[in-house]
Amino acid sequence: MARRYNIVLAGVGGQGLLTLGRVLGNAAILAGEDVTIAETHGLSQRGGSLIVQVRIGKGESPMIPKGAADLLIGLEALETARQIIYANQSTRIVMNKFLWPPPLADYPDIDNIINEIRSRNIRLYLVDANKISEEIVGTIISANMAILGYAYAVDEGLQEKISYEHLEKALEKIFKGKVLELNKKVLRKGYEEGLKHK
Amino acid sequence: MNIPRTDVLAPKGSKVLLMGNEAIARGALEAGICFASAYPGTPSTEIVETLATVAKDAGIYVEWSTNEKVAFEAAYAAAISHVKSLTAMKHVGVNVAADILMSAGYAGTNAGFVIVSADDPGQHSSQNEQDNRWYGLLSHIPVVEPSSPREAYMLIKEAYKLSEKYKQPVIFRSTTRISHTRQSILLEEDIPVEKTCKGKFERTIERWVLIPAHGKKLKKRMMTVWKNIMENEGHPPFVEIINPGNKKVIIADGIAYAHVAEALELMDKKNEYTIVKINLPVPLPYKPIVEALKDAEKALVVEELDPVIETQVKKILFENGVSVELHGKDLVPENGELDLDIVYRSISKFDIGTESVPWKPLEPLRLEPPIPPRPPVMCPGCPHRNSFYIVKVAANKARLKSPIFTGDIGCYTLGYQKPFETQMTSFEMGGSIGVAHGLSKVMDEPVVAVIGDSTFYHAGIPPSINIVYNKGKSMVLILDNYYTAMTGHQPHPGTGTTAMGEETYRVPMEDVMKSIGYETYVINPMNVKESINKVVEAFEKYKEGKPVAIVSRMKCALQALRDARRKGIKLPVYTILKDKCTGCMVCVNLLACPAIVVPKGAKKPVIIHDLCAGCGLCAQVCPFNAIVLKEKGDPNWLEAWY
Ligand SMILES: Cc1ncc(C[n+]2csc(CCOP(=O)(O)OP(=O)(O)O)c2C)c(N)n1
Ligand code: SF4
Ligand code: SF4
Repeated sequence: MARRYNIVLAGVGGQGLLTLGRVLGNAAILAGEDVTIAETHGLSQRGGSLIVQVRIGKGESPMIPKGAADLLIGLEALETARQIIYANQSTRIVMNKFLWPPPLADYPDIDNIINEIRSRNIRLYLVDANKISEEIVGTIISANMAILGYAYAVDEGLQEKISYEHLEKALEKIFKGKVLELNKKVLRKGYEEGLKHK
Repeated sequence: MNIPRTDVLAPKGSKVLLMGNEAIARGALEAGICFASAYPGTPSTEIVETLATVAKDAGIYVEWSTNEKVAFEAAYAAAISHVKSLTAMKHVGVNVAADILMSAGYAGTNAGFVIVSADDPGQHSSQNEQDNRWYGLLSHIPVVEPSSPREAYMLIKEAYKLSEKYKQPVIFRSTTRISHTRQSILLEEDIPVEKTCKGKFERTIERWVLIPAHGKKLKKRMMTVWKNIMENEGHPPFVEIINPGNKKVIIADGIAYAHVAEALELMDKKNEYTIVKINLPVPLPYKPIVEALKDAEKALVVEELDPVIETQVKKILFENGVSVELHGKDLVPENGELDLDIVYRSISKFDIGTESVPWKPLEPLRLEPPIPPRPPVMCPGCPHRNSFYIVKVAANKARLKSPIFTGDIGCYTLGYQKPFETQMTSFEMGGSIGVAHGLSKVMDEPVVAVIGDSTFYHAGIPPSINIVYNKGKSMVLILDNYYTAMTGHQPHPGTGTTAMGEETYRVPMEDVMKSIGYETYVINPMNVKESINKVVEAFEKYKEGKPVAIVSRMKCALQALRDARRKGIKLPVYTILKDKCTGCMVCVNLLACPAIVVPKGAKKPVIIHDLCAGCGLCAQVCPFNAIVLKEKGDPNWLEAWY
């Protein structure tokens, strides 16, 4: 059995992680791959820590063991740092340069987080996904698609499983009209940014 | 939730990405149901939400009922009059419906009737992690359980066949990881156009009137059905012996099977093991268990939560004189959710006596200060924040001495957190009012019951009546945000729309409370000052010994934002003026709005533009008038909120 490709999506409830998972899932189907996506709904969607586990390839369990992620996509810095336990020494980590502190809490600085991850010799990629989204859509609402485009550009593992066209086609399954066009643009911009930093 | 309508309705042969709950809905449609009713509850909600979304296309009737008991009664009534039906609820919802569940076990059904119980191992979104397979044993209703969303799609159809074969209801047990996992699913059948939607009620009173004389006869029927299922259903799709004849055996049901299959694959030990895959954990058919274990050396039962299968296996072994080294909850945890890692370790201990796993996680990062926990919080602009702030200030003003706030279940439960602490209990839905009454009878402190709108209709009315009837001293505060927000904004009797999107009557809670005998106040918490004055007035009335109710009415902010987007309305956005802000932190410390943050090292807070919902609460609270409009919003912006 070919190994399953494990992607952990980390962030804060409301950042669009579920949509990001669905795009990856639909792209995987278009690529003829089997796929499971373990989502979290309910309470944790109210601004709490959220993770979504995407597994591409044949297999039964929807859950990724700690240390078994091939790719960790973090839409927020504290959450990326929290979920780093899903990564191992060769995992690629793509992190949004955005720290959203929880109310009334003390928290580490984003530079500390970046330095600490770098000091472990892990492949860390930083992208300002909020900015890409704002430039094209006017708000940070499409940061999820920006980081997806970026992650796709830098992650060969993902490229082996699905093609860029599959990602675009998957967007067409989920969005329509103007929103679709904007999201395609954001995906593309994220992708181009990623290519520069490969 | 955004349900992919076209995927759920796709023709036979399509490969679609469906969430477990959508897969259950699609399977039930293929089975020919024409009636579905439910009360929402994570992780079950999307089953009936999906059915509601496609109800008109599929030609079926779907409703959100006021609670699980009512939903159960409605769907059961359809089934006993020959219309195939479904009801779905979260695990604790079955507690609410347990009374009729027990009777339905006795009386049986005519058309297929499936109760989906979505359990929540690991308590992702629940007050407990009760294992509802026990309900099957208690009620003598068989339990069917899938191991993946794909299997859920297939098995729900088998559950309907089983129900019709034995004329007995069937509990279809899902769990969070089945219900909320998406999987690619190949659709096997089309949704039938022809189905029975018109019922026929037979006046067979000896079946439907459960007086003792009838009940005794019905119990005999029920026990015969029970034994027949145990005797005759030990075959696929309910029980499957995979790779028979091995000395080492694993018995697993539901999602546990998925973890077992993958763990053995990763260990490269598939050929050394016989797996008994269980999709009918209750009542456990004994033949395949005896068959797989009679010549085995040792066996391991892998199941999530309680030893429901293990207990039955032990009984079967004893009754059939089979002896084998049997393991279960000694190696597999009974608390929390199982996952691949945990199951890999359990099998490894069973297999070679030590735990070893092939993955090496990174050590957690060492950061100073450490990564703070991020529990769920009320959204920016959440009406509950306004209500809690107002009630606390008003309680102070009215000199209410150390009030006790009993709480309930919904987004507002988050008010247990600092800075509000206006939820001091939260046991089950509707509990706030009953508990407040009891407290008020044994304490001198003022007691305020805080309950959400949907929760009020669900289970808040009988205890409200009880307070007045028994001359209680507690107050009731109902937080009306128009929706059942926590579970994804389903409409309720106060909303004015039905599950299928039709306009309907509204049942205003203030009218209900007035008719019970409460002095009832309605506030709009967006207007902070005015609301504080009204609540002070209400508290004064309460001190006079009158039964008092307050309805705080303001739309859920998430829904207001959606409505604004849909209607193309631009909402206002606030900002903090640096020169006017003194850094007193009142807004931060009293409101805890996630849109107001203190940047690392800064002495003054800022508002994150993209996150501000424009509710204006902080501007009304800032003592230095330092919070002002940054963008004004359209002149009609309030339309999004009302
Ligand atoms: C018996 C039972 N059914 C369903 C649920 C799931 N549930 C939790 S909160 C909630 C609804 C709360 O709605 P509402 O009272 O309107 O408060 P809101 O979330 O809108 O603030 C539901 C249905 C539950 N916990 N218990
Ligand atoms: S979903 Fe609505 S009710 Fe729930 S926390 Fe958010 S704004 Fe408040
Ligand atoms: S107006 Fe103030 S309290 Fe309301 S959402 Fe914006 S920042 Fe939060």
